[in-house]
Amino acid sequence: MQSSKLLKLIIFALLGTISMVLMFLNFPLPFLPPYLKIDFSEVPALIAALLFTPIAGVIVEAIKNSLYLIYTGAGDPVGVVANFLAGSLFVVPVAIFYHKLKGVKSLLSGLITGTIVMAVGMSVLNYLVILPAYSWLMGLEEMAIPSVKWASVIAGILPFNLLKGIIVSALFIPLFAKLRPWLEKKRITFTS
Amino acid sequence: MNHALIIGQYVPSNSVIHRLDPRTKIAIIFFFVIFVFFANTLTSYAVLTLFAVGTAVATKIKLPYILKGLTPVWFLIVFTFVLHLVVTKEGEVLFRILSYPIYSGAVEQGIAISLRFFLLILVTSLLTLTTTPIEITDAIETLLNPLKKIKFPVHELALMMSISLRFIPTLMQETEKISKAQASRGVDFRTGPMKDRIQAIVPLLVPLFVSAFKRAEELAMAMEARGYQGGEGRTKLRELRIEKIDILAFITFGIVLIGLFLTRA
Repeated sequence: MQSSKLLKLIIFALLGTISMVLMFLNFPLPFLPPYLKIDFSEVPALIAALLFTPIAGVIVEAIKNSLYLIYTGAGDPVGVVANFLAGSLFVVPVAIFYHKLKGVKSLLSGLITGTIVMAVGMSVLNYLVILPAYSWLMGLEEMAIPSVKWASVIAGILPFNLLKGIIVSALFIPLFAKLRPWLEKKRITFTS
Repeated sequence: MNHALIIGQYVPSNSVIHRLDPRTKIAIIFFFVIFVFFANTLTSYAVLTLFAVGTAVATKIKLPYILKGLTPVWFLIVFTFVLHLVVTKEGEVLFRILSYPIYSGAVEQGIAISLRFFLLILVTSLLTLTTTPIEITDAIETLLNPLKKIKFPVHELALMMSISLRFIPTLMQETEKISKAQASRGVDFRTGPMKDRIQAIVPLLVPLFVSAFKRAEELAMAMEARGYQGGEGRTKLRELRIEKIDILAFITFGIVLIGLFLTRA
């Protein structure tokens, strides 16, 4: 049906915009390097993924990062790609869990799985792709030595992504509890 | 909230660079970003720097605006330079800081890599300084058009991006309005332990989502009432056209590339 398809596109666009706005309300965490920042921009993507499909969450993540890139200029393209990958790795497992068995319990287990998938996935990706990309960009072969990469993954990337997942989940559960009746009503109008 | 964000980085003017077709700018920047990595001698860096600085001057944008666009990455540039000084051990010892030796190769490489970084960021930020986000989206849509053959939803993506860009100021104001409204009811976003601050964001997000969905429904209805039916056969308000200045820009860039390959080792 044409109408619901257009509405869906517009909803993705607006959720992506909210996501980008939330990205600027970020704060660094104590004990971690300043370039690792926590924000709540994953929340709109989660809403899209739970309301529609896991892919919807990925689309919202993509819109958020494209907007960010166009608005701030390509100062750090590797960081933008990394943010997109992290967000997608987090959102997709949550949505898959939630769509399998609907309910608050499946949401909780989904958020736990999402956090673990994101933390492990980003550690692997940083080790294999992202850190080598940075070291190439900065012309520092020393940064791509396995021991250095290990250190930054264990001391930075892994705890950061775990914390990020936990903090975003801690916000999302009460938020979802409030929004759920309203979201269920929306879902019925979209699928009918 | 950050005022700079509402309008993006765009600085309106009528310079040559502003008038270039956004596709020309994107294409030249794309190749510049690749060819920066080919520079390996002092003169080849000089050629590229001359091109980048020349373009920056041609935009007629005041220096503070250009430098402001670089603020998020100053840290990265300085960090790279310092890291090179500490880590690289090539050439001879130039001097010592607190008995720590600094090598001549480290200084050379540090400067070269920092300069490369600086050039990359300067040139890409010139795009966002001289081109509106809508123009960039339009240009990307036409550049991606060939992907329609493999069923890639180019039009839908461009539509979503234009709608998003249109709503950034609106939703920013709305976020600010809601956060002020909730603050006046005693919600505290800035102080207190982490747990309380996270809790405080919930009453900010609920109305934000509800109103976004309402806006989406209204916009979808308005678009359909005006006969929107997807990308097939849709015409455009702003047509992109390649003009003489675009061809001149490509020729200039071609000369720069020839200069780069003549001077590199």
